[in-house]
Amino acid sequence: MDDPLHPFELHALIPLSLFGLDISINKAVLTMWVVVAVVVGLLWRAGSQAGLVPTKLQSLAELLIDFIRGIIHDTMGKDGMRFFPLISTLFLFILFSNLLGLIPGSYTVTSQIIVTGVFAVGVYVLSLVVGFKLHGAKFFGILVPPGTPGWLLPLMVPIELISQLARPISLAVRLFANMTAGHVILGVLFGLAISGGLLIGWLPFSFTIALYGLEVGIAFIQAYIFTILTCVYMGDAMHLH
Amino acid sequence: MPQFDSHFFSSLIFWEIISFAILFWVLYKFAFPPILEALETRERKIKESIDQAEESRKAAEQRLQDYESKLTGAAREAEAILLEAKAKAQQLLDDNQQRLQAESDRIREETSQEIERERRKALQDIRRETANLALLVAEKVISRSLSGDDQRRFAEEALDAVAGQYVNGDPPSV
Repeated sequence: MDDPLHPFELHALIPLSLFGLDISINKAVLTMWVVVAVVVGLLWRAGSQAGLVPTKLQSLAELLIDFIRGIIHDTMGKDGMRFFPLISTLFLFILFSNLLGLIPGSYTVTSQIIVTGVFAVGVYVLSLVVGFKLHGAKFFGILVPPGTPGWLLPLMVPIELISQLARPISLAVRLFANMTAGHVILGVLFGLAISGGLLIGWLPFSFTIALYGLEVGIAFIQAYIFTILTCVYMGDAMHLH
Repeated sequence: MPQFDSHFFSSLIFWEIISFAILFWVLYKFAFPPILEALETRERKIKESIDQAEESRKAAEQRLQDYESKLTGAAREAEAILLEAKAKAQQLLDDNQQRLQAESDRIREETSQEIERERRKALQDIRRETANLALLVAEKVISRSLSGDDQRRFAEEALDAVAGQYVNGDPPSV
């Protein structure tokens, strides 16, 4: 039986380097381009034919965009719409990475910890930048929950500091782990189905199908969770308690 | 785990940032504005339509109320007119009846007066005729010297003649 982690291995397809930095093209990079192409194709076409009476494609795009708009409104308020392009791009990129990764033979970009990590750190750093830009030094108040008595400060500040630093890590690990685990389970079950033969193999195979449906749901849910947490962190930075 | 193989980190980070930047720029420039605008336009249109419908409804209700009050007024007016007409008709009827009564009373009065006058005139005529006849009879009786039988017969003839004339209805001409 194959190593269940085998599908996550990368091999440089086209070796490239930039100022000594290895930027070889591999399967994950190619998949990113496919994701970008799919999202651009979908939304650009939807945007170019946007009218008062929506076409089918426009309805789909509006569904996605209205969904993100709703999240932003709920978590950041109306002035959060400044970040709408960034957050919706993030959502669409992650969502389509998750979904395209479910096509057998393709690659799940979001199952790479470094990919989710860059997004998570980027989002977190942006929230810090926004917070300090809006509130200046007062933004350190985010380390003190409202209503904390003075004598608890030495305890609360380190706890809050740790919880703050845990944010990007949990954000990155959650997405990466969910995607990896899902694909590993699918791989293991399908491996069982293949090696079990017809006599017993149908059992893990039916599980594979059921889990595949679940994975489609998880692809949406993880993209949603990543997006809503991004909004919550940004909202925290914008509206200091 | 192959994901922790740092060998590919640099290329993944690089291409991720590049891909994301391209995606962001294209969507930001070409995709989001028209879609967002379409969404907002639709929202505005729907809101406007709802507002307009509400306004129209209010106007229609107002108009309905106006019409209803007008209708009620008209009904009341019609009733008043009807009542007035009835009263007038009754008045007219009463007047007419009174007038007719008076007229008929007058005619009856006049008629009875006329009758009375005629009756008196007739009586006078009769009296005059009777006197003439008496004179005539007397004249005939006197002008002829006849036997007792003849006298009686003449007298009877004369009286018969007078009577016959009276039976015919017209007083005899002298």
